[in-house]
Formats: sequence, C-alpha cells, structure tokens
Amino acid sequence: MIVADQKPLHEVKEFVETHQKILVAGCGTCVTVCLSGGAAEARLLASGLRIAFQRAHHPKTIEDDTVLRQCDEEFVLPLLEKVKGEGFDAVITLACGVGVNFLADRLEAIPVFPGVNTTFYGAVMEPGLWAEMCSGCGECITHLTGGICPIARCSKRLFNGPCGGSEKGRCEVDPLNTPCVWQLIYDRMKELGRLHELRNIIPAKNWRPALDGGVRHTVRERIYRLEYKNR
Amino acid sequence: MTVRSSTQQHKPLPNCSAACPVHTDTRGYAEAVSEGDYERALELLLQANPFPSVCGRICHHPCEKECRRKEVDAPVNLRMLKRFVVENTKDYRRERRRRIEPFRGKKVAIIGSGPAGLTAAHDLALLGYHTVVFEQDSRLGGMLAHAIPRYRLPLHALNEDIDDILALGVEAKTGCRVGRDISLEEIRESHDAVVVAIGLSESVTLPIPGSTSEGVLPGITFLWDVANGHPPPLGERVLIIGGGNVAVDAARTARRLGVSRVFLACLESREEMPAWQWEIQEAQEEGIEILNSWGPKAILSRKGKVAGLELKHCTRVFDEKGRFNPQYDEARTMTLDVDQIVMTIGQRADLSCFNERELAMERGRLMCDPHTLSTSEPGVFACGEVMTGPGSAIQAIANGHQAARAVHHYLQTGERLVLPREEISHLGPLPQRVASLARPMPRKDAALSDPQERTRNFSEIESPFNEQQALEEARRCLACAMGAQLESSQACAGCLTCARVCPFGVATVERTAAMPAEECLACGLCAAECPAAGVALKRFGTNQMKKTLREMLASTHASHILRPFVIAYCCLYETTGRQYLQPQSREEIESSGILRVMVPCVGRLSSLDLVEPFELGADCVAVIACKEGACLYPGSEELLQRRVAHAQKFLEEIGLKWASLQYHRTQENAEASWPAIWKEVRRQIAPESGKEAFK
Repeated sequence: MIVADQKPLHEVKEFVETHQKILVAGCGTCVTVCLSGGAAEARLLASGLRIAFQRAHHPKTIEDDTVLRQCDEEFVLPLLEKVKGEGFDAVITLACGVGVNFLADRLEAIPVFPGVNTTFYGAVMEPGLWAEMCSGCGECITHLTGGICPIARCSKRLFNGPCGGSEKGRCEVDPLNTPCVWQLIYDRMKELGRLHELRNIIPAKNWRPALDGGVRHTVRERIYRLEYKNR
Repeated sequence: MTVRSSTQQHKPLPNCSAACPVHTDTRGYAEAVSEGDYERALELLLQANPFPSVCGRICHHPCEKECRRKEVDAPVNLRMLKRFVVENTKDYRRERRRRIEPFRGKKVAIIGSGPAGLTAAHDLALLGYHTVVFEQDSRLGGMLAHAIPRYRLPLHALNEDIDDILALGVEAKTGCRVGRDISLEEIRESHDAVVVAIGLSESVTLPIPGSTSEGVLPGITFLWDVANGHPPPLGERVLIIGGGNVAVDAARTARRLGVSRVFLACLESREEMPAWQWEIQEAQEEGIEILNSWGPKAILSRKGKVAGLELKHCTRVFDEKGRFNPQYDEARTMTLDVDQIVMTIGQRADLSCFNERELAMERGRLMCDPHTLSTSEPGVFACGEVMTGPGSAIQAIANGHQAARAVHHYLQTGERLVLPREEISHLGPLPQRVASLARPMPRKDAALSDPQERTRNFSEIESPFNEQQALEEARRCLACAMGAQLESSQACAGCLTCARVCPFGVATVERTAAMPAEECLACGLCAAECPAAGVALKRFGTNQMKKTLREMLASTHASHILRPFVIAYCCLYETTGRQYLQPQSREEIESSGILRVMVPCVGRLSSLDLVEPFELGADCVAVIACKEGACLYPGSEELLQRRVAHAQKFLEEIGLKWASLQYHRTQENAEASWPAIWKEVRRQIAPESGKEAFK
C-alpha cells in the first residue's frame, strides 16, 4: 500500500492563510491504514487549524470529510459537490499525491493542497512500523533475486550487490534500521537452492516502464469505454 | 375466547438481566451507581420491580449467579448495590411519587397483599384502573410482612415499597377476610375483575405418630406469631423439621427467642438442601445444629406434650428421575429430646375463603391455568404462589406483572390472553481467554454483625454498603455488551489497529473489524485509536465529545469563567463519593474555572478529544488518570500516555504551550488528590499571574 506522513501543521496552515472556508479531505484507504490521513486525522487537523486561526484572531470555517478512496470518480463526486456547493475556497487533502492530483483536476479554480507527504509503497513490518518494499518501476525483476527487490530496498539500487558498505548484514547508510538487501537476497537464494544463479550478472534494466518513459497509463480493455455505457 | 400473542423475542440480554425473573436492567443500575446517579439507578429498579427495598434485602439474586464477572473472579454484588440505591434515594423516591387517577372506569380487586398481589395492584393502578386490595391481616405484605423474619427484612424496608404502591392510589382494605367479611361473589359484583393472590399461607404437617401433641408448631404460624409480637413460649431445645428457607428462618428465629439448642433436621444432605447456601451458612454461624439425611419417624410425647423426636436415616431423597421419593434405613434411628417441634416441610393455600360454588378447586388446590392465569370463573385470575407453587419473592413479583397484563387484556377485549412464551437469549459465559486477561478485583461482601450479637434480637444483621464500597463494587461490572461496535462497515479500512491495540484479543479483522459484543470488555481503546474514527462505544462514546462539552458549557458565559479555564478529563473510577460525580452548576464552573468531565477510564479519549476543548475556549486540558497500576484495562495507561504526547506535539505546532495539555495521576483517591492536581494544573499553565494570564 501507499505510505504517507503528515506534513508539519505550520506548513499546512501557511497553505491556507489567505482562504476562508477550507475542507480537510481524508481518504479511507491507504492513508487510513498507515494512520496519516483517515477520518480521525482529518478531524484532528481540522480542529488544529481552527484553533490555530482562532488564536491568531483570524477564525476560519474549516470542516472535514472523508471518502473511501480519493482515486475513484464515484467516491470523489460527493466531495466535489460539497466543495463547490457549499462554497469552500480551498481543500487540504490527506490522501496520497494521487488524491491531490485527482481532486485538483476536478476542482478547477479551487486550490487543493497536500496535507501529507507521500513516501513509498510499503508494508507493516510490525505494528507502527512501515518499510518500503516496492518502487513501482514498471518491470519487476524480483524473479531473479528470490522475491526481494534490490531497487526498493538497496540504498544504492544496485542490481549486482552487495557493495563495500555491507557490514555484518547491515546497510552502511542506516545500519540500525536497514538490513543489506543483498545479504537478504544471498540468504534467500541459498535457502531456495539457487545460490549459483547469483553468479549471473543481472543486466541493466529497461527503465522505460518506470518514470523514464513518460507518464504511465494502464488500460484494461475488458471494461474500458464500454459502448453500451456510452450510448 | 382466548388469543395467543406471538412469542416475544428479545436481543441478547446481559446474563444478569436474563436471569432476573423481571429482567431488571441490572447492568444499567450498576452503571448508574458507578456514575453517582443513584436516582437514575432507582428509576431503572422501579421500572421492573415495585419492591426494590425488599429485593435489596432478601432477593436470592439469580442475577449474581449468572454474572459474567464470575469468570474473572466473583460476581458483582448486585443485591447489595440495589440495597445501596434504595437506602440513598429515600427522599427522591418520596418526591417522585404520584397518584394516578383511575381513568378507565373499571375496578379490579386483588385478594391478598403479598408481592404478587401488590405488584398486580401496582401495575393495574398505573394502567388506570381503580384497584382495591383485600387483606385479611391488619398489615399489608403477606409473607413479606409476617413470615420473613425482621432480621432479614425490617418492616420499614417493606413499607418503603408498600407506601410507594399505595401512593399510586391503590386502595387497601386491611382486616378484611374474604369469605368472612365479604364473599368473592360480592367482590365480583362490585369489581370488573378479580386477582386471587392469596399465597401459600398454611404449613403442611406430617401425619406421623404424635403429630397432634402440644408443642408441634406449624412453621408459618410460628413465624407469623413471632413477627406480630406473639412468640409462643419455647423450651431450651427446639427442633425444626425441613430443609428449605422457611425451615432456616424458623431455626434462626427460635435462636433469637433465646432457645439454647436449635436443631434442624432434614431429609436432604447438606448439598441437596433447598435453602439458600448462604442462609444455611449464616444459620450454622448462629449455632443452629443441622442434622442432614434424617427424617422424622415419630414425635415422642409426655402427657400430651412434645418430649422428643425419633428420627430415621434417609438414604435417598430423590429417585433416578429426580422425583421426590425418599428412602429410609428403618434400622438406623436416633432420638432427640426436644421441647417443641416446628414443622416447615411445605405450604399450601388457605382456600377456606372461597366456596366450591364460587371457584373450582381440585384436591385442595385452586384450579387455574398457568398460561392465562385464569381460574374457572371469567374475570377471576390468580397469581403468585397460589398459582405457581412455592417460589421466591421476585418470582411472585414477575407473576404479578403477568397477572396485570392478563387482567388488562381481559378488561380491554373481554378475552383471555395466552401469555407469550418468553424466549430470552443472553450473552452466554465470558470466554475464558478474555476473562483471563481481565484484571481481578475482589468482590465486596455485605458485613454481617457478629453471630453472638445478632442472635440476641431481631435487628437487621446486614450492614448496607457505604458509598465508597458501592462505587467500588459498581465499577466491577464488566458492562457486558456496552463496548465497541463498528459504526459502519464502509468506514473500516481493515487497518488492524483495533486488533493490535485490543488488550483482550477481542477485536478481529476479516475484511472489516469485528468486536463481538459478548466478548468486548468496553475499554474503548480501539475507538480511541481507530484511524477511520469508525468505532462507536455504547457507553460513553467519545466520538461526540465536542457536542458533549458544548452541552456541559451551555449555561455558562465564557467571559465569566475564571481564567485559566481548565477542562479536566477525570477517571470516574477513582471517586469514593458523589462529590465529583454530580453535574457541576454554572456557578461552580465559572468560579472555579474547571470543567470536570468524568470518563469511565480516560484511556478511551482520542487525540481529538484532547485537542477539541481548545476550540471551546479552554486554556488547558488536564487528563487525570487513575492511580499507577490501578487501571482496569491492561495497556490503557501506555496508550493514553503516548496519545497525550502525540497531542502535546500537535498542540505545540499550533503554538500552544506544552503545559496546555497535562497528564496527571490520582493519588490515593479522587477526593484526596484532585483539588491539589487542579491547583497544580492552573499553576503550570499560568505561572506568571496564576489567574488572568489567558484572559
């Protein structure tokens, strides 16, 4: 899932200094799960902003609303109607960057500000700890590395590691929190009885399916632009 | 014509309420006591039962037998909580009385004023009928007034309930014996319906040799005479025959009349005795000598007076099918020299008040139908022990309620009502894996006076709970099924936070979160941590805190509140009295600058709950948790402290001082330490002036 961290409150406050009626929009999926942008956080941020502006003697109307996903038109529509219909002049979204864009595309002259910094695709290592697991590079190579991604989990994104900074199985960049992924790959391949495969050099990757190839789209023909729906 | 109403179905009740014959909202009154709202507790009691003072003393409390707390340590002492409530709401109870003017234009007669009859009278008066109770004695109450010894049920307690019932407008004709002073026929002529609630007022005697000797006393007569100040002369040695509650009452009564050796002989073994175990134990403490597994063979007499009893050994009381079918070893006998023998082996109705033309009887019993409570005559109903056979007071009360329903239906439709079969589902036992994680808290038992002392007279032997005891006992209630529930499955992201913080392993996530009501112990931690704000608590939900605070502040003027204004979230479980539990007056809030919010465990406060008070003008929020290590809920202290730290950081970003949100712990108890804590809170937030800094 997508992991995000909340922006410092003063930064968010600055975004909306000049606005009067602001909606804090939570998202009910990834950012809820990583405890940064669900309904509870949206309410808390809205309350915090109200207090901050009230104390600065510039009280503003600040409300909150949370939808299931900010990356689907159907879920976002009521939010858009609310913003336009009730005269909000700014939106702070706690969704990942997808939500920011998705709302901004649809709110025309009403500005949309990010309330979180979208950080990575990650997993819960233990309650309260998320770690990056995938970079969304568009062409997965983990079949070569025992299911462990050297792009997302190696500080240098080395395809043929480890580097000289691997010490006792830890990464020199952050030894306390980060294992050397090439140590993990080595151990895993050994477990799988495929250690010999590591003698093969992994060739340079085609980065075009990643960001290098321009803006990415995916089409699923089986439901894309159904004719009977557009008649 | 008879109508059958459909089977009543209820959603699962807490085990305590399900076990109570009148389904008292037991959980509700325990909660009300813990919140210091004794008046609400009394209202809940009276909703189900017009005899709370009686039941607070003598109820056999089936609720406690089923209390789910027993899986953790021991049941909540619900009877003593009930007694506490009635003892502490006497003025309120008198003031709430109201007379109901009969508005239905119909008149109902109740024959007999025991718990069943008076309950029926109470309900029918509330339903708008002119209700008249006929009682042969000079005092109302039936067995409660005459057979239950005063050391268990003092008259003033009984009168509290009876006065309440009479205050509704129930007319009582005491000293009026049906069949002597008025006939059933005459009553029927002047009333639209009649309820026969005459109880089982006669003792059954044993047809054994010598049973007519002088000094053989029927148990009920004996108790009746003692209760009314006419104790029979007794010798040094008295024997009671029987193993039920009446036998134990008779034995303990004899002891109080100065009898030095009181024996109680019964067929049953100690475990089989039908008397309540606690009654037997108390009797033994008082020196009653219990002879188990002995049956009477013959009463020995000298010059027509009782001289002793020959007993034979009882080898078995019940047969394989569980039926009463005693077997004896005739060869094994013993003889006891005694001066009097009290027979308490059973009771029957005194039906001499009716004749066969008036009401059909069969083998000395009133013919009646337990499904409709009707008798052979239309419009004549029966309830209580005359209908059900021997039972407890609370069962008689339940039956009295049913009789009122049957009569009401009859008077409105002319038809007999087949009482619906109640299908009460309950929560079942608390799963052991949950119970094993709950914090044990020792049960508080009633203090009984010293056995040596208490047998000297008929003074009540049990001391009521004081306020601290009652509050401590009330908070032992697990608040079954009052915990967390998902507000809507749509809100849930399946993030697992609830499952990860639940200290009892109750919350699970399978697509969406689930907190089974029968397992949840209502700590509220999942609700506080839910990132979707999607978990509601049935008791003291925190999702609406701002609204709650607004309501609490509604009558105050912001400019009149002393600054710095502190909103103090306090753990209500730390109180030992009502002082801080009762709602604050406007003046108190304004002059003290402190708004108390009593929370059943402050661990349930979310980050938002800690921040929102500042929107309402608070200068400071103080969280006052329980004493260290005292929290009912494992993990709650740690989670709360982390939440407070998170909110402090958040508030600091807004530009508030660190001291704007303070965490404190109660020392000793609320009353001893909170005033000092509030003072310290104010000092920390306004160190410069202590008063006007935030104006």
